Amino acid sequence: MTAVAYHRPACLDDALALLAADEDARPLAGGQTLVPMLNLDLLAPTAIVSLADLADLRGIAALADGSIRIGAMETHARIAASRIFAAGQALVPRAAGHIASPAIRNFGTIGGACAHGDPVSDWPVALVAADARIEIAGPAGRRGVAAADFFLGFLTTALEPGEIVTAIVVPPVPGRAIHLRYSRIDSDYATVIVAGAADIRDGICRSVRLAVGACGPVPVRLAAVEDLLTGRPLEPALVAAAGRMLAEAIDPLDDVRGSAAYRRRILPGLVARALAGVA
Amino acid sequence: MTARLTVNGRPCDLPEQGTATLLDLLRDQLMLTGAKRGCNYGVCGTCSVLIDGMLGRACLTLAADCAGRSVTTVEALDADGSPDPIQRCLVEAGAVQCGFCTPAMVLAARALLDANPRPSRAEIVAAISGNICRCSGYGAIVEAIAAAAHG
Ligand SMILES: Cc1cc2nc3c(=O)[nH]c(=O)nc-3n(C[C@H](O)[C@H](O)[C@H](O)COP(=O)(O)OP(=O)(O)OC[C@H]3O[C@@H](n4cnc5c(N)ncnc54)[C@H](O)[C@@H]3O)c2cc1C
Ligand code: FES
Ligand code: FES
Repeated sequence: MTAVAYHRPACLDDALALLAADEDARPLAGGQTLVPMLNLDLLAPTAIVSLADLADLRGIAALADGSIRIGAMETHARIAASRIFAAGQALVPRAAGHIASPAIRNFGTIGGACAHGDPVSDWPVALVAADARIEIAGPAGRRGVAAADFFLGFLTTALEPGEIVTAIVVPPVPGRAIHLRYSRIDSDYATVIVAGAADIRDGICRSVRLAVGACGPVPVRLAAVEDLLTGRPLEPALVAAAGRMLAEAIDPLDDVRGSAAYRRRILPGLVARALAGVA
Repeated sequence: MTARLTVNGRPCDLPEQGTATLLDLLRDQLMLTGAKRGCNYGVCGTCSVLIDGMLGRACLTLAADCAGRSVTTVEALDADGSPDPIQRCLVEAGAVQCGFCTPAMVLAARALLDANPRPSRAEIVAAISGNICRCSGYGAIVEAIAAAAHG
């Protein structure tokens, strides 16, 4: 076995320089995805660049405009336990609290999950629902990408080689949080996830957003569905129509967690239950 | 100064191989075989240990990344000669069948009770949700953890 170097840079610039100097070096966050890939010989990096000491990648803090900045190295467990998220933003800690099991949540990070870009995972759909922005630092400087433009397909993101996710910024989200996750057992990946928020008063939907996850290469969010529901009383027939539109728009696979037909079949019911839960 | 980690209170050196896991270090270097290698990719939970008091997968943690951290394995729990109350309750409830999942179950329960000394049944179930028991003895395991908490 050839030796793989382990680097632990003390600042972001040093981390970027290490990645720029060696295209086969890999950043390490919580390791909950990277290390199993190493153990299974699916990856053979020349060096590991640990992000553990990068202060820029830590902290969950409110910004002046009510947005919440979550450092990329914040763990699912710390996000789930945070009380800083207001109104509909609470979909973010709810998503975090359902990921895998306690041991994985204690070490897995939001930045690592975003960089990995697994469409069956919990973050992509939650961050698309929240209109979050992914903050990135790289050799060419810093940029921010909307979650909807960041998650591009199966294990494919807008991240360029040598770039590091530094933070996720969640803007204010009106209404009450929606997060419904159907999985076969606790601690498994989901079969279907419905994430979003809605402001429903006296039976009338003032605003709504709904994103569907684990049902195709990217999270699905439809302006047509949100327009259909907004400003109207949430009658069962209208909610069912919204559920059908989403079920037609998703592009799920048959897998061990459910067939494509099964996912399409249960989605409208989950949408109805999600909206009833915040009415 | 060479970076080190602490295992059960004893400082030890980090391996040279950057991809060596904490589980490799514990089992192959330190001969602490309480942490089991079930799947080696994160799914079974039998390798779980406490890292700075938090339940974590030793097979998913690079040893080098534990520099400055403190690791506790099941071997530390009865170091004073008497078993942890959780261990005693597991034995009394008949919750140890083949025993392969047991060390990690003990640590998952320890992490739970340290944070939440009076957990509900649902909280106990959630706390061990990442720990698979192939003998499927969950009923007795949950009962034992409840007994350890509620006396
Ligand atoms: C048994 C098991 C069950 C799981 N169940 C679920 C589940 O139900 N839902 C779910 O959503 N997830 C699940 N996961 C995945 C888990 O959430 C991972 O923690 C997460 O996907 C990756 O985060 P990490 O911090 O561990 O990243 P790492 O494993 O450290 O890194 C993942 C990848 O991203 C790169 N990377 C890491 N951080 C950055 C960064 N800041 N910038 C750029 N690149 C970076 C790494 O080089 C690597 O390629 C599960 C994992 C396991 C082992
Ligand atoms: S050996 Fe680590 S989770 Fe299975
Ligand atoms: S007692 Fe055999 S695996 Fe749990």
